[in-house]
Amino acid sequence: MEIKFKTLVAPEIKRGCLMGNMFNALGSLWKGMKITIYYLTHPSTVVTQQYPENRETLKMMDRFRAQLTMAHDENGHHTCTACGICDQNCPNGSINVVDRKNPITGKKELDRYIWRMDSCTFCNICVQVCPFGTLEMKGNFEASVYDRRLFVYTLNKYAGPDQKNLLKIENLDDRKKQMESRDIFGGPVPLSGQSIAGLEAGVFDQLRKTEEAATNG
Amino acid sequence: MPGPGFWPNEQVIGEIDMNWEIKTVAMFASEALREGYLGAAGYIILGVVAIAGFLAVLGMVLIYAERKVAGHFQCRLGPMRVGWHGVLQTVADTIKLFLKEDIVPFQADKVLHILAPLFTLLGTLLVLAVVPFSPGMQVADVNIGVVYVTAVGGFGVLGILLGGWSSNNKWSLVGAMRAGAQIISYEVSATLALLVVVLFSGSLKLSDIILSQEQGWWIWRAPVVGLVGFVIFFIASTAEINRTPFDLPEGESELTAGFHTEYSGMRFAFFFLAEFINMFIISAIAATLYLGGWMPFHIGGLDGFNAVMDLLPPGAWFAGKTSFLIFVLMWFRWTFPRLRVDQLMRLEWKILLPIGFVNLIAAAFMVMFGWYYGN
Repeated sequence: MEIKFKTLVAPEIKRGCLMGNMFNALGSLWKGMKITIYYLTHPSTVVTQQYPENRETLKMMDRFRAQLTMAHDENGHHTCTACGICDQNCPNGSINVVDRKNPITGKKELDRYIWRMDSCTFCNICVQVCPFGTLEMKGNFEASVYDRRLFVYTLNKYAGPDQKNLLKIENLDDRKKQMESRDIFGGPVPLSGQSIAGLEAGVFDQLRKTEEAATNG
Repeated sequence: MPGPGFWPNEQVIGEIDMNWEIKTVAMFASEALREGYLGAAGYIILGVVAIAGFLAVLGMVLIYAERKVAGHFQCRLGPMRVGWHGVLQTVADTIKLFLKEDIVPFQADKVLHILAPLFTLLGTLLVLAVVPFSPGMQVADVNIGVVYVTAVGGFGVLGILLGGWSSNNKWSLVGAMRAGAQIISYEVSATLALLVVVLFSGSLKLSDIILSQEQGWWIWRAPVVGLVGFVIFFIASTAEINRTPFDLPEGESELTAGFHTEYSGMRFAFFFLAEFINMFIISAIAATLYLGGWMPFHIGGLDGFNAVMDLLPPGAWFAGKTSFLIFVLMWFRWTFPRLRVDQLMRLEWKILLPIGFVNLIAAAFMVMFGWYYGN
């Protein structure tokens, strides 16, 4: 069998005349210079942040991914149904969704949503796969702590039914009874009440407070 | 052939009142020499110390300015931490460079390696001696000033070549050879552009060239030819001092740091300092030749306007023009991409050199027939 080759012709590079090229080149150089002088004369274009000084007013970008949080509405309800899709999709097993049966209704509900920051790569897959929009990436980047155990977060603030099921309960007191409180650092490596070597208890409480503030805000 | 009054210089200087008295440290020294050696030596030491001090201070100021300007060109802030808005940053850097270990690589040519940065700095220092800052502020007014500037400026590349060769490092060597090729090429264009002004002013002496611009600066008094000459000189000088977009000898992305890859501490600082002072020097020389140096902006015939312009002292005019040109150089550096080696050579031999020759011949005709303003 005869193989037919297609003949390819290289496109001819059009070269202008010397003067034309020269003025083109000067024009394009001037274009670049106009952009840089615009940046120089407009200090508002500066993107550098003077970080430790402007810590109070620093506003992180919305897309910045530094901390996984679970959204709680104004009543303190979250929308997690403990379906575990995020758990299955997490590429390095940083998420562990612990579910339980509701003692009254017998339905599956969230007991503890454990997120390990130390192994998380902030790939955002968990946020994307969540069918209920429960998870959120926040921009709180000041993550350094004195003890590695503090990287294990419990994201939900209560163990119990999700927002949809809680709102079915008319009585507010009954609703409260369904919500069992969960501490942010009360996960599988418990720290409740304990102090860490080299770290005073007051500092730890302070840390817990800022951590919770960051999660809320 | 040239009779009396052929050279424009003679006519121009004949018309105006010579109220600019040129005084240089060298003149004071020669006067003091009649009294004795001691006074002359005092003046010489004064000149040397003044230049060395100026070199150090200017280097620090320029480096700070460059970093600050570069930052804002790139939407950054530049140094902000040491002192108010980082003004002491270069002081801290200088102290660091003084204290750092001076490493000579194994199997390097030790003597040449140590000498090279000194050569580079020497070239810079020697040119600085003839830069006319203002009528009363100049160390020496050499009667072949333009030739001197061109000749002594070549010392810089000698240091670069020695440094690259003695480092025993292929990157250094490639960088140094590039620097050599670059200065050989671009020196031609720069000199052709210098000659235009020499033709118009009829003198090689820098103070005479400035005085010949009392009726107006050569960049606009010599129509088109002056502007073309200025642009060619500016581009060619930028290439000569190895500044971006012609920084092939350094070429961070290809050659690590080019000829100063193996240098550290003080000797690196010498190269660095020379680079920045060279930027000042080419700005000062370009300002002197084409923008009238310390001469205020004069338009021949408009005495009232000229008197208003004289209100600013000549030193301020020189500083203003030079800093503007330095700013333009920084603007170039932080905007343009680096040229390839073949593009560099093409730009010189195929574009700048022919235009420079045509420009020089046109200038010669214009001088002969007196086709320029103020004649």
